[in-house]
Amino acid sequence: MEITWEDGTRTTYSGQQLRWACPCAECRGEAGLPGRLSRVKELSPEELRIKDVILVGQYALQIAFESGHATGIYTFTYLRRHLVQ
Amino acid sequence: MLEALGRIKDPDLGRDIVSLGMIKELEVSAHGKVSFTFELTTPACPVRDRFKSQAEDAVYGIPGVTAVEVRMTANVRPAFMRPKPSEILPGVKQTIAVASGKGGVGKSTVAVNLAAALRKAGAEVGLLDADILGPSVPAMTGSRTTPSNANGRLQPIDAHGLKVMSFGHVRPPGEVTVFRGPMVGKMIEELMRLTDWGRLDYLVIDLPPGTGDASLTLGQVIPLTGVAIVCTPQDVATDIAVNALQMFRKLNVTPLGLIENMSWYVCPDCGHRHEIFSHGGAEAAAKRLGVPFLGAVPLEEGIREDADGGIPVVISRPESAGAKAFVEIASQVAARTSIQSFRQLPVINVH
Repeated sequence: MEITWEDGTRTTYSGQQLRWACPCAECRGEAGLPGRLSRVKELSPEELRIKDVILVGQYALQIAFESGHATGIYTFTYLRRHLVQ
Repeated sequence: MLEALGRIKDPDLGRDIVSLGMIKELEVSAHGKVSFTFELTTPACPVRDRFKSQAEDAVYGIPGVTAVEVRMTANVRPAFMRPKPSEILPGVKQTIAVASGKGGVGKSTVAVNLAAALRKAGAEVGLLDADILGPSVPAMTGSRTTPSNANGRLQPIDAHGLKVMSFGHVRPPGEVTVFRGPMVGKMIEELMRLTDWGRLDYLVIDLPPGTGDASLTLGQVIPLTGVAIVCTPQDVATDIAVNALQMFRKLNVTPLGLIENMSWYVCPDCGHRHEIFSHGGAEAAAKRLGVPFLGAVPLEEGIREDADGGIPVVISRPESAGAKAFVEIASQVAARTSIQSFRQLPVINVH
């Protein structure tokens, strides 16, 4: 996935990078409990392939993977500030 | 010619009108007659008349010019990101939300009159009532009919030249709506998607009050060019309006500014101006937050009467202080959204 930002800067993200950075409660864990991504060592190829990207309001992207996992809402701030390679 | 016109600057966009592409169809006849089209970014432009005379003066100043004809037109530029262009609001250029932190501040009255004022200026305007739980737009616009359904699409109701759609139009009459937040979001998404809006310059959206579940869902579901926040002047109200503003900032929705409603009251008997809820609170809050102050609306019996009667005050009593305030606010809002249309939005590509 590639984003060209308001100021012209371009950033690219691989499916693998985005999948491991999924911010959803299931992956990250909540209320102090560890999430799925801290328990698994490996993800299958379809878990890492992007199927669809949907804009949420004007502030975030919801990324759906081939495996069906689509609960992660990646805010633009998160994508720009924390996920740049 | 273009050099002379290029010295005119757009005060809101901070650039000259020629490089902004506002001068079109420029023609010069053999006898020194000059004609051109001046295309504004909104028909409700607050500096429309000033632009026209500035342009005439600039061209008259050129030696050899005998006559100048300026045709003033407007073309609203699109300004928001769509989740799926073909599905959500395909013909709509700009979406303006009217929100408030607190209920009862006159948000729907402002939304209705803002829409009507933009329409009066010559724009194509829709009005979407996103207050699913307490829709008041049908009553305020005198449109309590049921929309017709053609090929699975809802036809918006024509009220005072506005294309209006509200959940109040589609729900069974007399029934109370009891929904949780996600359901509210779902309903709004359906109303947006299923309504045949046609081509609109502006879709004004009357949001429910507060920063709770329903409002947050809507902020996520509706793609917005910007949001205008309505509040009353007293501290309790401005403090809560600030919360609403912060919520929209978190959602990356541009604050267009604050509107102070019920700002003052002129007693019909004694003619004195009373500032019942204090005065200037919204302007001070806007300054503190670094957002524009869009204007103040007085508390007038006429505004309330006409809202109950289903006619926006800008149409029924255009000479009243309230109507004039709404028209001025509409220009300010249109100017602010025009600025947004020159903003570069992020482009997302998936390979």
